[in-house]
Formats: sequence, C-alpha cells, structure tokens
Amino acid sequence: MFDRRLLFQAFGGALTLPTLESVASAEQSTETAPTRLLVVANPFGAHPEHFFPAEFGKDFRFPKTLRSLQWLRDRISVLSHTDHNMKSGHGREVAFLSGVLPETSGAFPEKNMSIDQVVARRTGGQTRFDSVHACLERSIRMSWNANGVDIKPFTDAKRMYDHLFMNLTTEQRLERKELLQRNGSVLDAVRDQFAGVRKRASKNDQVRLDLYANSLRELESNLVGRQQWVDKDKPEFDLSGYFNGTEITIESRYNAVFDMVAYAFQTDLTRVATIGFSPELKYTDVKGVTRGYHACTHNGKNEDTVSELVAIEAFQVAQLSRCLKKLDEIPEPHAEGSMLDHTVVLFGSGMGYGGTHSNRNLPILVAGGGFKHCGHVDTRDASGDNMPLCNLFVTLLQRFGLEYDQFNQSTGAFTFEDYLG
Amino acid sequence: MKHCRRILAILLLCALLPSRARADLTLLKEHCAKCHSGDQPKGDFNLDDLGTMPDSDSSDYWISSLDRVSLGEMPPAKHNRMTKQESKRLSDFLRREITRYDERTEHPTHTPPRRLNNREFENSVRDVLLLDHVGTHDPLAMLLGDTLHDGFDTHGETLGMSEYHLDQYVMAIRNVLDNVIFTGPKPESRRYEATAEALFAVDRNQSKRADVTIRGEHGVELRDPRQRTFCENFVAAPASGTYRISFRATGVDRHVYSQDRTGIYDGDPLTLRLHLGNRELDYEMTDGKTQTFQVSVWLAEGTRLEFSHHTDGLRLIGNGNFKFQNRIAHDFIKANDPELYQRVLRDEVPKAKFRSDAPSHWVHWVPYWQGPRPAIESVTIEGPSFESWPPQRQIALLGQSPSAENAAAILKPIAQRAWRRAVTDDELTPIVKMVQTQANTLGDVEAIKEGIVAILVSPSFLLINPEDSDAESRFATKFSYLLGSTTPDPDLITQVENGKLSDFDSVRTELIHRIDSGRADEFLSVYPYSWLQLDRINFMAPDVDRYPFYEKKNISEDMVHEVLAFFRHAVETNRPVPELLTADYSFVNADLARVYGLDDVPSDSELRKFVFEDGRRGGFLGMGAFLTLTADTLSTSPIHRAVFVMENFMGIHPAPPPADVEIKEPDVRAAKTIREVLQAHQTEATCAACHQNIDPYGYAFENFDPIGAWRDHYIDVSQPIATTEEGHEPRKTRRSNISTAEIPIDASASFLSGARYKDITEFRTLMHNDANRIRFVRCFVTKLLTYANGIEPENFTEIEAIVERSAEHDYKILETMAAVIDSPLFRETSNTND
Repeated sequence: MFDRRLLFQAFGGALTLPTLESVASAEQSTETAPTRLLVVANPFGAHPEHFFPAEFGKDFRFPKTLRSLQWLRDRISVLSHTDHNMKSGHGREVAFLSGVLPETSGAFPEKNMSIDQVVARRTGGQTRFDSVHACLERSIRMSWNANGVDIKPFTDAKRMYDHLFMNLTTEQRLERKELLQRNGSVLDAVRDQFAGVRKRASKNDQVRLDLYANSLRELESNLVGRQQWVDKDKPEFDLSGYFNGTEITIESRYNAVFDMVAYAFQTDLTRVATIGFSPELKYTDVKGVTRGYHACTHNGKNEDTVSELVAIEAFQVAQLSRCLKKLDEIPEPHAEGSMLDHTVVLFGSGMGYGGTHSNRNLPILVAGGGFKHCGHVDTRDASGDNMPLCNLFVTLLQRFGLEYDQFNQSTGAFTFEDYLG
Repeated sequence: MKHCRRILAILLLCALLPSRARADLTLLKEHCAKCHSGDQPKGDFNLDDLGTMPDSDSSDYWISSLDRVSLGEMPPAKHNRMTKQESKRLSDFLRREITRYDERTEHPTHTPPRRLNNREFENSVRDVLLLDHVGTHDPLAMLLGDTLHDGFDTHGETLGMSEYHLDQYVMAIRNVLDNVIFTGPKPESRRYEATAEALFAVDRNQSKRADVTIRGEHGVELRDPRQRTFCENFVAAPASGTYRISFRATGVDRHVYSQDRTGIYDGDPLTLRLHLGNRELDYEMTDGKTQTFQVSVWLAEGTRLEFSHHTDGLRLIGNGNFKFQNRIAHDFIKANDPELYQRVLRDEVPKAKFRSDAPSHWVHWVPYWQGPRPAIESVTIEGPSFESWPPQRQIALLGQSPSAENAAAILKPIAQRAWRRAVTDDELTPIVKMVQTQANTLGDVEAIKEGIVAILVSPSFLLINPEDSDAESRFATKFSYLLGSTTPDPDLITQVENGKLSDFDSVRTELIHRIDSGRADEFLSVYPYSWLQLDRINFMAPDVDRYPFYEKKNISEDMVHEVLAFFRHAVETNRPVPELLTADYSFVNADLARVYGLDDVPSDSELRKFVFEDGRRGGFLGMGAFLTLTADTLSTSPIHRAVFVMENFMGIHPAPPPADVEIKEPDVRAAKTIREVLQAHQTEATCAACHQNIDPYGYAFENFDPIGAWRDHYIDVSQPIATTEEGHEPRKTRRSNISTAEIPIDASASFLSGARYKDITEFRTLMHNDANRIRFVRCFVTKLLTYANGIEPENFTEIEAIVERSAEHDYKILETMAAVIDSPLFRETSNTND
C-alpha cells in the first residue's frame, strides 16, 4: 500500500486528505476504477515539422514541440495524416471533437455533439460535475452539447476555482436550496403556459419549439440533480500559491487550471475535462515570444517568427506534460496502475496548421487510457488516403464502454495494436 | 454513364418543352457545355446541375447563372460567340424559369421563431420592466455569448437554445429584478466624503498590491490611462437606490508636451471618466481650472465606483506601458530646462537604485511628469435616497400595494409587453396559481416577482414570434426588433392596431420618424457593424512591430467608427444605396488621416466628412476597416479581399477551395509577389477556373497595405524593421532604410466579361456601372432581410421586386429599406395583393 497523505503533500497546495466525492456517497457500493477523459486543444494546429517526428514507430527523436513529453516515450501515440475532411480555413476547428460543423449538424442524429459530451452523458450523474471546461480569456469552442450549442468554458482560473472547490456556508446552502425550489416552481408554471403556445404555433415552427422544450426538460431534471449535492462538501484546494507572485503569467494561470483539473479527477469531482488555448492569451509571457499567437502562425516562413510559434506550441504541450506527470504519480485507487493509465488523454486541434490554413494532417497525440501505445504512426490507408479522425474517436468512446461502432464521419475504428511493430 | 444521363435529360426536355424554351436550352448547351460538363467542369459547375427546370436543389444554380449571363461575365469574353440578342434571350429564359419556379413553390410564409440574442434580451427586459437601464451591477454578465453568422447576431439557426441558456436566463432575470422590486426595509441614506488622501489608484491588469497612487497640487493625479481610481470609503454601493455623486476635478498640463509625443491631439479635451459598474459617464476638464461636477444616478447594490483618465494616447513609447512614457519628461526637460536637467543628472541619477548609468531611462523622470492628466481633489457621495418607498420603479411595475390576490391584474400588462401581444386570463392561470401558492411562504411581493420571472423565462418572451398570433402584432414585433432591437412600444402597437403601417408610404414615414427620433440608433450601429463583419477586424491584427501606430492608438476603433458614421450619414441624408460602396467621401479624424495620408484634417479625434479628390478612397471600398480585416498581419491577400467584396457587396458566393487542394504557404523570404504566387497556383486548370472569376475582385486593392495605408511598392517584410529611437513612429520613410530592391505594385486585372482596370480608380468606376450597382443593391436588400428575418431570403422574384421598387426611387436608402419592410418577405404575407 502507499501513503496517500504523503503523496498529496507533493500535490499543489492541497494538504488535506481528499475524500473521493462519488465513492463517499452512499449509493456508490461497487468500487471499480472510473475511466476519465482529458482533452487539450488549440485553434491553430501545429507547425508540422516541429510536431510530427521524422521517424515512424516507437523509436523516434522527439521534435521540439513534443520534447517535454520525452519521459512518456513508450506511452504515447502520435497520429499522422488524420483529418475531418474539412476545407481549408479558420472556423472549422470547432469541429475538432465531432468532425461535424455547426452549419451542417442538422444531418447528424446527435448534431455536432463533441466526444467529451458524449462521454460526459455516460459518466455524468455519478459525479458532482458532468464535465469541466477551461479556456483562459476566450473559448475556442470545442465542446458542443446534443442541441448543437457550444459549452462556455471557464475563462478565468479564479471563477473555475469558485465553481469547483468553493463551499457554501450553511446559510448559503439554505438559500441555494430555496432558490432551486423556487426555480423549479417557475419552470413548472412555464411548462404549463408553454403548452398553450405550442398549440397555437404553426407546424413549421415546432422544431425551434422542441429545442425550447428540451432545454426546459433538461434544466428541470438538472435542478433535481443539483439539490442532492448542495449539502455535500466539496474537496479542498488551495489556489493562493499560483497567484502570489507580483505578476500573474500565462504559465501560473495554466498551472492552476491543469492542477485543478488533475485534482478534480483525483477527488472524482468530475471525469471529463477539456482545456483550450485561445489566441487572445498573452503568450508574450512565454520565453522567446513577442507576437500574438495568430500572427506567429502567419509567419511567412520567417525563421524568427516560426521559432516563436514553436515556443508557443511547446509551451502548450509542456503544460499538458506537467499535468500528466501529476496524474502518473497518483496510483489509481481500486485498480492497478496510475491515474494516468485510467485517463484517456487527447491533445490536438481541428486545424492542421494555421500557416497554410490547412485542415489536413491534424496534429494528434494520445496518451494514457490503458491503450497499447504505438509511437508515431502513419494512419493513411493502402491507397494513401488520410484516416478520418472519427475512427480514433470510435476507439476512445469504446474505451468508456459506450457502444459506438460508428461516429459521424468514421469509416472504422483505429486499432492501436495494429501499429505495434 | 454521366454523359448518357445528361443527353437523356436534354432529349427528354426537348420533347416536353415548347419550341421557344427548347431553342433557349440549345443555346445554353451550345455556348456553355464545352466548359461546364464532364467530371471536372470549370468553376465546379456542370450544366447537369441545372436539371431541366429550377427546383429546391438547383434554384441557386439558376440564379447565379442568370446573374453571370445577364452581366456579360458568361460566357467569358475570350471564348464568347454569343450575340447580344442571344445573350438577352438566354437571360430572359433563365429569369422566366426562376420566376415560374418561385410562383409554383410554396416558400414558407413566415420565418421560424428564434431566440432573442443577448442585445435584444437586454433591451427587452429593460423595456418590459419600464427601466432606463437593466442595472449598473452587470446583471447579464453570465449570459452565453451569441454566435455570429456572417457577422449577424440575429441568425435563428446559429443562435440555438439549450438548458445552459435557460439556466443563465433565470439567473439574469433574477439579478435584474433584485434591483427593481424590494421587500426589505428602506435603507438608510449616508454621506461619504473622500479627500485626495482617501482616493487610491489601482492597476487593472496586474496583481501588484503596492500603492501606485500619485497625489499632487490638485489632488490625486490620473496619469496612467490604464489605472482606475476609487474612493476608499465607497468602493461599491451598499444598497440599490439613487446616489448623488459630486466631485471636484482639474485638468492639468493639457498642452505642455507636444501632441506627437503624447498621442493626445491638441484639439481633444482632457476627459475624466466616471465608471459606475457597467455604465460610463465622461466629463471634460478645463485646463488649470478646478470645477465641481455633479450627477444623480440609480446604482444597483454592489456597483463599483471608479474614475479613469480616458484617452487613446500615452501609449506611443515602448510596448505601450505607461511607465515608458516618462521618457517624454526627460526629452522635454533636456530641451527646455537645461538647468533642471543638469541638476537631475548630477543629484538624482547617480543615486538611483537601478539604471543609474542611463540618464534617459524613464525611471529617473517620474517626478517630473507634466503630461496631460485629470486630478481629483475630493469626492462626495450621498445615498441611497428614494422619492418614495417602495421606490417609484417598483410602484410603476406592481402598483402601490400589490397583493397576490390581484396577481392576474398586475401581471397581465407585464406579460403583454413581454409577449408582444394580447394575453388572455386563461393563459396566465398557471403563472398566477404559482404566485398564489408561493405567496404563502414567500410573501406577496416576492411571489409576484416569481411570476415576473416566469413571464420572462417563457418562450413567448425568449423567442421572437413563436406562435401564430395576429399579423399586426407579428409585424409590430419584427419592425421593432429590426430598428430598435427591443419589444414594440405602445405608440407602434397603437399604429398597427389601427391599420396603419400597412403600405409603403406609411412604412417610409414611420421609418424616417424613428430614425429622426433616435429610436433606430441600435440599427444604425449594429447593422453596418454586422454587415461588414467588423467583429473580425482584429482577428488577424496587423503586426505590432511593423505597424505600431495601429495597435498603440487603437486605430481599429477609429476604423469601426468611420464605418458607422458613414452609414449613419447615408441614412440620415437618404443617399442612394450604391453610394455606400463607391462614394467619393468618408469620415475621418486625425488618426485616420495619418493612416490614409491626408493633410488638412483638424488635430482631434472627431470624425468629419472628408471628400477624396484622387479617386482612390471613399465609401466602403476605401475604408481601413474593410482593408484591414481582409489582410494578414504582415501581408495582404487579394483573395481574401476579393472573397469579401464578392460575398458582402456583390452577393456572389464563390466555392471554397476543395479539401485536397494543396495551398502554398506564403513565404516572405522569397522575393515573389503575391501575384506570382497566385499565378503559379493557377497553372492547375481546376484552380484557374475559379480564380479567374475571383481574383479580379481583389487585385485592385494591392496598393493598400495591411492597415489600409497607400503603398506604391511591396516591402520586404523579412527584413528587420528600422525603428526610431523610441520605436513609436510608423514612419513613411522607413522603406528607405531597407536595402533590398523594391517591387512595384501591379493592381490591374481583367474580369471574365472582358472588362479591365489598371488600378483602384478604374476598379471603382467599374463597380459603379449599372450592373454592379444593381448587384450591390440586391446584396444590401438580401443582407437586410437576413438581419431582419434571422434567415436568408429564398424568393428570388420577391427580392427582384424590392430592387425594382428601390430603382423607382433612385435606390435611395430609406425607400429601399421601406421597400424591404413592405415586402411580403418581411411582412410574411403569402403574396403581394397589389
């Protein structure tokens, strides 16, 4: 056995022994290890030569952008030549996690619902939060719900903290419960009034009214769900360490975000998280960067500017690497291996490379999740066509016990084992 | 296979059609099939796409075929063997078929309901609750941002609706109501006095806790525009109510430093801004004179009160941080006060903790700053006060002593405003019942508040026209949201109920009336902003090193304001629509004059009409906003500009490149012009077919650099920038510092129709010919309908009818708008009766 208490001291500023939220709850009797999902993404893809290794297979030299992941050498997969068959240009990266653009989502049964939400629908209900989303400054719009609406991430670390870890006082809890009850009554009354509206509406309008009806129903059931969590304490987390310095940097802010996510996984506050890197961030805090993120992608192959871009992308991967290390240091309760082995990690973008506006050859990296990782692989088929990224998504969804043999644009499933030399 | 099918289709068609139509089809085949057939047809368009007659899949092809043929762009001049008469016959045929299609097709008579966007939600809540502002406590801050569709925030499909939205709405409405309806005791009024010692400055973006306040002869000095100053004893309003705020302030050293150094124009006033939560009030300071300013304003509980120095200047030196501006003090003293200069050099610089080796470093000159700045001597705040308790705003809404028993009577007028129609008692019953149940535990007033929440969460409020109510209220609703983005006012409702606004003339009169009385202000700013997609202006902002002036003086804001001022002028003086595109004038201030290279513009920030004599600028086509938002950070792209012009001004939608096309990454190291790169790209026939059509709409703008400034040569951007000492000047002379050969710009091109231009002036002339004027008017009409209806219009024939009506009035903008509003496409009537 291991000393959990000791372990947690190494962890951020959190000194108290965390209780696992869902395990602590009475309903949870079978103690099986959960599987979690962490997606980290950016809107502009990656400079290809610095992201994709020159060699295929497990024995490759780590390119600059990925260098911080060297410690994970045999435990990652880098996928070359995947795409969503999208035309070039900005704006299509919002389809990263579904392969479907909002404007064409009508043709798909679950619209452009992203995989994190598909997973959260399954894992939610067992944890306090179905999923947690962060993207400092401004959303890059990767998470979409079944109604085809994008989910607003936390754009501020402190607000994220309040949401995840702040406990209410006894008085606030009473108020909260009263409010939930009042909102419940309001929605009841609205539902009855809405029935009349529906009757008077023309047939063509029913689609939009259905959207409203779904929203209303979901909110009502959500209010019931929230009631049961009000009285339970949240785990404790100390945020102060990240914001003590004289200047708050992009690094300290992202450290806080990643650590909160790792801790939320550890305490089973949630099992699904997405973290984005938006263009508006002040990357000039990162060493060697003087320009905006977007400006760096349009570098005209100017070497200095390319190196600034690579610095930004390497920074993003380094943040991920740091988080994975934390997860890997925590043994999974009730199962073999580390927490990382039970967390499916996906890093990438719905854009191939901003410099060419290409949406082919998406930068894709998978770690953890108990997969048999296969190093750098060329996913093209015999005729040289790129693999639909949705093939990978089928495999990831199956890992969560979801019975998908097909997902949006997929033509099959990606099998890690096939690529093990 | 495919060929067989086509031949079969045409044979079948020939057999079915009357001989004239058959002849027209033969014309089509004879002149178009050579390029537009096979597996790789030119422009990705195959005659097969037309089918035998327009249907829901093919009507777009018919319409664009008509457009291209009637404007003489197809067949292309180079290969054209068609006579003028034949061309006319072909376009007549295409038009006839489209009209027939529109006649036999049942286009949906009304637009599907859509969610209010956040702007409309805010305005509507405000007006339903009879307020002048939803509250200074930013009650709607948690709403999810609206997604735009081609710049428009009214697009129904894109707006969407989810549980998240609904959840946030409930919270937002409660936040607003908490500042309107009160059940507790009346809060005590107090008087807060703050002298300069109780005023403190804070840095907004930093976490530094050190006190950065500077106090001088006239009180607290607001030097750094990015700082906010607050009163220690009144950080935020303790309770909602009216507060009387008075403060004594002075404008200091307005004109000591030159405007070129500070970036604050001599003609601009020194402005002290009072921030009241999300509200801002600006006060102009008089130089050297201490004045007392006073305002009485309703503040919501928790509203923060802060002051700032409002200017876009004081950012020119270094990276824009204020501290670097102290360098101006050094330069000024060195030049004007040698005695003082020597003294500082001798006594102070050597003792400095750091940078004692660099006398010109900003750190030594902070105490000697004489830049323009407001100073606050004292602030007095008194409140909250009320003219009655409960406050008037509550009485106006609920009456003097509301009881749950009367809930129906109290809620009905609120529901009618919110739901924009007559409301029956029956319909209110579920809500009234809920109020009466809740009254037992919450008390009467709180329970009625719950009723109001329900009214505002109902789809009847959150969705525009969700049900088949009477045509009059549907029209009033749409008209009101088009112009004011809010729920209809009583005056409008009375008018439509009395059968007014039922024809073109009365719509026109009311339109003018609303514009004159400021009730269309929302439209006048939101519509041009959305149409030109100005939200994107800094998506690819010009490079900060190469174009420092743009970033440091917030030129993008001036550019946006130029568009809005120009559009407002066009509407208020009722100019013809095509003038928007190619007018010989625009609105500029000193900042824009500098970018555009204009003399004789007064040194201030006010936008004034300016007539361009050189034929290069004026109208949308010459505006920095358009030229910047279509450019990359370092380079310009004729393609981006061309596509923007086509989609937003010409109403043409070129197909995006196919997914497998390999796009060459621009390489600034190679001495190639963008034209050479594009021409290389076009050696592939599949690319060339589209680009011959697209590129001529973009090459004309090559003389405009990424910030829309005029250039005669390309600059080699891979060369380092020769910066001046302070690095603040976007100097016209910088090119002379670059040794590499300059590449002259070629801004000429020819259209497929054979029309050619040698530069922007000739291009502008072409854009002003009859065919392009009509295209532009049609595009304006289509965009306006998209904004008004939340969905793209589909009925080509009705759009043409609007354009014709517009033509009858010389395309005057007000008449064109009235024609749109009076059209069945806006009125949602099945067809014109006249």
